[in-house]
Amino acid sequence: MENSQIKILISRVVYTLLFLLLFSFSGIAGGGWTAKKGEAYYKLSQWWIVSDQHFTDAGLIDPNVTSGIFNTSFYGEYGISNRFTGIAYVPFFSRATMNNQLSETTGNIISEGDAINSFGDTDLGIKYGILKNKRVALAASLTFGLPLGNSAGGKEGNLQTGDGEFNQILKLDAGLPFSVGNIPAYANVYSGFNNRSNGFSDEYRYGAEFGLGLKDKKLWLIARITGVESLRNGTLGTDINSTSVFANNSEFTSYSVEAAYYINTKLGVSASFASAFRGEIIFASPSYSVGIFLDIKK
Amino acid sequence: MPLVFLSAAIFLNSCIGDDIIADEIEPVVRITNPIDSLALNSTYIFKASAFDNTGLIQQNPNISWTSSDNSILEIDGTSGLASAKKLGAVRVLVNWMESGETLSDENILSVGMTTVQQTQKREGSLITSSSYQLEGDFNLSMETGKLVLNLESNYKASSNLPGLFVYLTNNPTTTAGAYEIGPATSFSGAHSYSLPASVGLNDYQYLLYFCKPFNVKVGDGKFTD
Repeated sequence: MENSQIKILISRVVYTLLFLLLFSFSGIAGGGWTAKKGEAYYKLSQWWIVSDQHFTDAGLIDPNVTSGIFNTSFYGEYGISNRFTGIAYVPFFSRATMNNQLSETTGNIISEGDAINSFGDTDLGIKYGILKNKRVALAASLTFGLPLGNSAGGKEGNLQTGDGEFNQILKLDAGLPFSVGNIPAYANVYSGFNNRSNGFSDEYRYGAEFGLGLKDKKLWLIARITGVESLRNGTLGTDINSTSVFANNSEFTSYSVEAAYYINTKLGVSASFASAFRGEIIFASPSYSVGIFLDIKK
Repeated sequence: MPLVFLSAAIFLNSCIGDDIIADEIEPVVRITNPIDSLALNSTYIFKASAFDNTGLIQQNPNISWTSSDNSILEIDGTSGLASAKKLGAVRVLVNWMESGETLSDENILSVGMTTVQQTQKREGSLITSSSYQLEGDFNLSMETGKLVLNLESNYKASSNLPGLFVYLTNNPTTTAGAYEIGPATSFSGAHSYSLPASVGLNDYQYLLYFCKPFNVKVGDGKFTD
């Protein structure tokens, strides 16, 4: 290999690493911070989205039959050691619905609605703290997406509580603690790669998060930006009947806001709202969640 | 309190609701086996179908047949049985009384030496009604005794949306009463679909592309008769 080629290769690696650092993740998994050994965070929450429109492959918005997904889930992080944190997202009750379509002319049913209830797709992962000091926290995580949901439910097989594919997400998180005046705050960025199976396209994922701890850290206000870009290396979108938030080659850039309030030192409640700036082949409506959490610090 | 809040959220909006589809179209009656000429001294049974304002076919509609010149062609008003009496041009008319309005269709033909079916080919062009790409010409034709839907070389459709299905229908707004040909098998260029004997050349007025899982229309094309 010539020197010029080596230089190009090195510069690409450096740029890639910088990019990963700049856009690396935090999200729900504590971002770049890992739990100390024995520390835990558990959350029981309800997430839902109801949509009568979706982003098309051109990024425009078209109507669709009103459909909904409702997930009741358990989320947990546990400090296995000071470096390793185990993570689980378990939607133990997932419901997908699709409305009846009625004729405006006759009132008769054109297309009968449907609903399914099942376990949902589950994530199990482990996060490794690469670096943690007062200035920055850096962590890498590996998450396995287990297809425990129903990918072809209902009379027509077009309702989903999962995508039916086993995926693996490799992610790098970088967290930065700071303060705004006297108010504690943090920022977090992430970047990840989602390797998908069963004909689904792989994905590049990225996001950023900003949090403010008000009222002596009792109330946290969090804003997030999340992005998913499809590599479009799977089968044709039309070959897979998944819709809603489970379609192949879906893409989006979304924003969300969350408020988490500590009722006491361990127990708290949270609520969030999310919507999208842009998307392709995915619902185009806001999603909501409410939850209660237990934050066990040693 | 949080648990009550959470439980309420679980059931919030999780029931199956109703979407209203604007599906009204003009009711029509159509002669489904038109001919260009009828052989002198022979008989022929004309057939017609009536479709209501949602495009659904009417069973045993109250239709009547008339001839513009009974000396050339006589027709039974109820059964549509026509008898060719004399050489010449004639017009066969079918009428259907629907909600106090008389709807009609006609077949202009000649009584001649042979019986000739009208063209065995119908054509149209696809137009997208969504943000998804759909365009191209198509035709429905009898080929060696079988009905075939041909999409021509200028056909293009998006392959990105899930579950693109092809239908023949008399109401381009829904799949109610439509014949489902099946999933789209190609997204660019010429290709064709063979249709069963139960589907007639003149049974449907539109070719419809529909995203089945999302239950949304992608586009359609009307047969130009």
